[in-house]
Amino acid sequence: MTAEFVTQHLALAQHRSPLSWLSEFNERGQARFADAVIPNRKTEAWKYTSLASLTQGDFAHAAPSVDASTVTLPNIAGIDALRLVVINGELNIEASDAKALELIVHFADATQEQQDQINALLGTIQGEGGHLFAQLNDANINAGLFLNIPRNQRLKQPIHICYLTTPNSEKTGFTVNTRLLVNLETSAEATVIEHYIGDEEQNSFTNAVSEFRVGDNAKLIHYRLQLMTEGALHIGNAHIDLQRDANYEGFHLGLGTKLTRNDIVVNHNVGGSHSEMAGVYVPKNKQLIDFHTCIEHKAAHCTSNEVFRGIMNDQSKAVFNGRIQIHRDAQKTLAELSNKNLLLTNTAEINTKPELEIYADDVKCAHGATVAQLEEKAMFYLQSRGISKADAKVMLSFGFINELIDNLPHEAIGDWLRPILAHRFGRSSDLDDQLAQGN
Amino acid sequence: MATNAEIEQQIAGNEYKAGFISDIESETLAAGLTEDTVRFISAKKGEPEWMTEWRLKAFRQWLEMETPEWAHVNFPKIDYQEISYYSAPKSMEDGPQSLDEVDPELLAVYDKLGIPLHEQMALAGIAVDAVFDSVSVATTFRDKLEEAGVIFMPISEAVHKHPELIKKYIGSVVPVRDNYFAALNCAVFSDGSFVYIPKGVRCPMELSTYFRINEAKTGQFERTLIIADEGSHVSYLEGCTAPMRDENQLHAAVVELVALDDAEIKYSTVQNWYPGDKEGKGGIYNFVTKRAIAHTNAKVSWTQVETGSAVTWKYPSCILKGDNSIGEFYSVALTNNFQQADTGTKMIHLGKNTKSTIISKGISAGKSSNAYRGLVRMNPGAEGARNYTQCDSLLLGDKCAAHTFPYIESKHPTAVIEHEATTSTVSDDQLFLCQQRGIDTEKAVSMIVNGFCKEVFKELPMEFAVEAGKLLEISLEGSVG
Repeated sequence: MTAEFVTQHLALAQHRSPLSWLSEFNERGQARFADAVIPNRKTEAWKYTSLASLTQGDFAHAAPSVDASTVTLPNIAGIDALRLVVINGELNIEASDAKALELIVHFADATQEQQDQINALLGTIQGEGGHLFAQLNDANINAGLFLNIPRNQRLKQPIHICYLTTPNSEKTGFTVNTRLLVNLETSAEATVIEHYIGDEEQNSFTNAVSEFRVGDNAKLIHYRLQLMTEGALHIGNAHIDLQRDANYEGFHLGLGTKLTRNDIVVNHNVGGSHSEMAGVYVPKNKQLIDFHTCIEHKAAHCTSNEVFRGIMNDQSKAVFNGRIQIHRDAQKTLAELSNKNLLLTNTAEINTKPELEIYADDVKCAHGATVAQLEEKAMFYLQSRGISKADAKVMLSFGFINELIDNLPHEAIGDWLRPILAHRFGRSSDLDDQLAQGN
Repeated sequence: MATNAEIEQQIAGNEYKAGFISDIESETLAAGLTEDTVRFISAKKGEPEWMTEWRLKAFRQWLEMETPEWAHVNFPKIDYQEISYYSAPKSMEDGPQSLDEVDPELLAVYDKLGIPLHEQMALAGIAVDAVFDSVSVATTFRDKLEEAGVIFMPISEAVHKHPELIKKYIGSVVPVRDNYFAALNCAVFSDGSFVYIPKGVRCPMELSTYFRINEAKTGQFERTLIIADEGSHVSYLEGCTAPMRDENQLHAAVVELVALDDAEIKYSTVQNWYPGDKEGKGGIYNFVTKRAIAHTNAKVSWTQVETGSAVTWKYPSCILKGDNSIGEFYSVALTNNFQQADTGTKMIHLGKNTKSTIISKGISAGKSSNAYRGLVRMNPGAEGARNYTQCDSLLLGDKCAAHTFPYIESKHPTAVIEHEATTSTVSDDQLFLCQQRGIDTEKAVSMIVNGFCKEVFKELPMEFAVEAGKLLEISLEGSVG
């Protein structure tokens, strides 16, 4: 079964790009992917995450072409963003803002200069050592997008990239490999929202790799929002390279699907860089969501702060693995990580592993992890004020993650997310309204 | 009396008869491990057939297993066929005859630890009987224990005297197949301690392997089994602070603790095996499997101070099977020079309202690497279970490494788990404060380190705690500045 997965996806990758450097890149990826071994429960990085729903499903097909006019396109109310729409791995020109299309180029449409830039950067941030899905993405890039922000430029409007998957009428399974490459030159600033959605019940597998290079003194605000339906399997890699005094602010949201796995790697390559990362996962039903984060401190005088919170409902399962690695020369590093989890039912499960690996002595690192249920006293307090048990549960659960939502750099995104998250706990609409208003 | 030739003949013929005893002295079995080796060891100990079979079964399973490679340690691959698995105890006459013949460096360390003279002799392997009457001391203890009904004897003796207990409990906490080293131990274990505390008895004194110091050396594959029957209480000390020299490089011990309903076991270890020289040459590989099972209302507490061994691979664990049972783990692990330690604990919560506390302090100096690896698992039945984990690392020197790998798995919403870890160094401010009060750097660092470990030391029996403090001081010598 597992070997079949590799051969089927290799077969799918056998199309040549007209760009010679890209097809060479793909070929190198294919060679590595051909040797890839499907991880099992004994593979440390996949210990709690079973790939059965992926390897046993029928996903090794090209994505169907869909008429964009039939799909409802997502919108984030109240945010003045430049929207770019990718449907089933195809850049949709009609649905995208013209200005966004000026900024972001499809690999195939890149000018020679841009091609040289892409060729020089692509794959260097992720490296070649990633897991097999990273190799798969290298082997077969369906939608390759490139964004370059030149020196000293500040992009006021956020870039909103919607990755939409939608099935054809037969609802056959399909695979999409998306790739995003972002380069922020010295002192540039940008906000990138990666927004993944599946509009209806489907069997799709999205394998998304995003690479960000944040230049000296540059600043990146990054949202990675996964709001897919249950049948949209998702494996994502986000790699962020920070140069001198660079700044990264990231927010990662995963609602959960049958299988969602995210690997986020932040490399502090040169001194003075700072990263701030927050994340929320709220799986329900039988969903599985897995976050593997890795903060690499390779240089001295860098700071990082990471906060992830999760609420597990029904029979869902979540995995969190937060790793901080302090390399030999990374003296004077300050690194912190916190992971808090709420289990709402007897059948939900959480496996968390905050890791520290430290090779420098003059550093301050701390991590904390907690797992618990809603506090009895808090529940009682609310109930004693006439709030029903169910509503109290929702309010407290919501409050648990709302702290992170409140801290988002863009208020509009918080306002847009609150009702979505409140719905997640399956509550009455008037309570949603209250929550949405922040009362 | 059997001769060598006879023994070899027996091995060749595979016809082992239970109860066979040999008096042949001082011989070392040629290197290599086969079923015959296992039979030979069993025969040497005159074990009954069921024990031999048990060993052989373990051996066959071991053959199918692979060396674990997940630990954060590096060492050259061990060739298990290069090791000799049986060495008869050396007679006392072979050892040094007086303290004058003992390595002065070793004596200096004994002095710093404040070990009394006669104990120094015992530790250095001098035929103690001639010097002081340890036998009578041991006998007094033995009488007292017998009065209380406590059984405390080498496990090889217990196999004969209490086969029903051994049969029932050996391998019940650490199954033969549990891991590579445990399986190896099952096949070739040399000796160890057996303790049984009867129902409702509070053991009148702290049991220690130290009492058995001039009995046969337990050797490299030690096996300990402690059973505390309902409502009983025992405190057991293993090892001692004095440096232990040993020619055997590989140590793979297994310790099993069984705390039946309402019983309490406190197990303290001070491990100071030879860590190798300053260049990282030599030193003991210490691959230990320690596990306890706690039944209803029982309590198991592990306390360890680890300063020795070149490579340590050790995870004293608690299976909290019964409701309201309690597991505790207090650990100080210090590594210096090229030592590597991957140590921690496992707390498996099965019963309701089970509680566990983990306090781990790791200190790394020199070019060493020190990792905490822990697992806290709340199974679906662990209603109201509680865990608190704190693991702190202290780094001394810019070439050492400290790691934390805690695994936290929860399958019950009412279970509460808290985990905290910090890593830091001895700050300049702390040092400055001490120095301006006239305390020199080395002393200041050792004070700070001692303070860092205080939470664990207070769990040790008192004399041990004092020695442990001094031991850290000695182990850290030369690592500062």
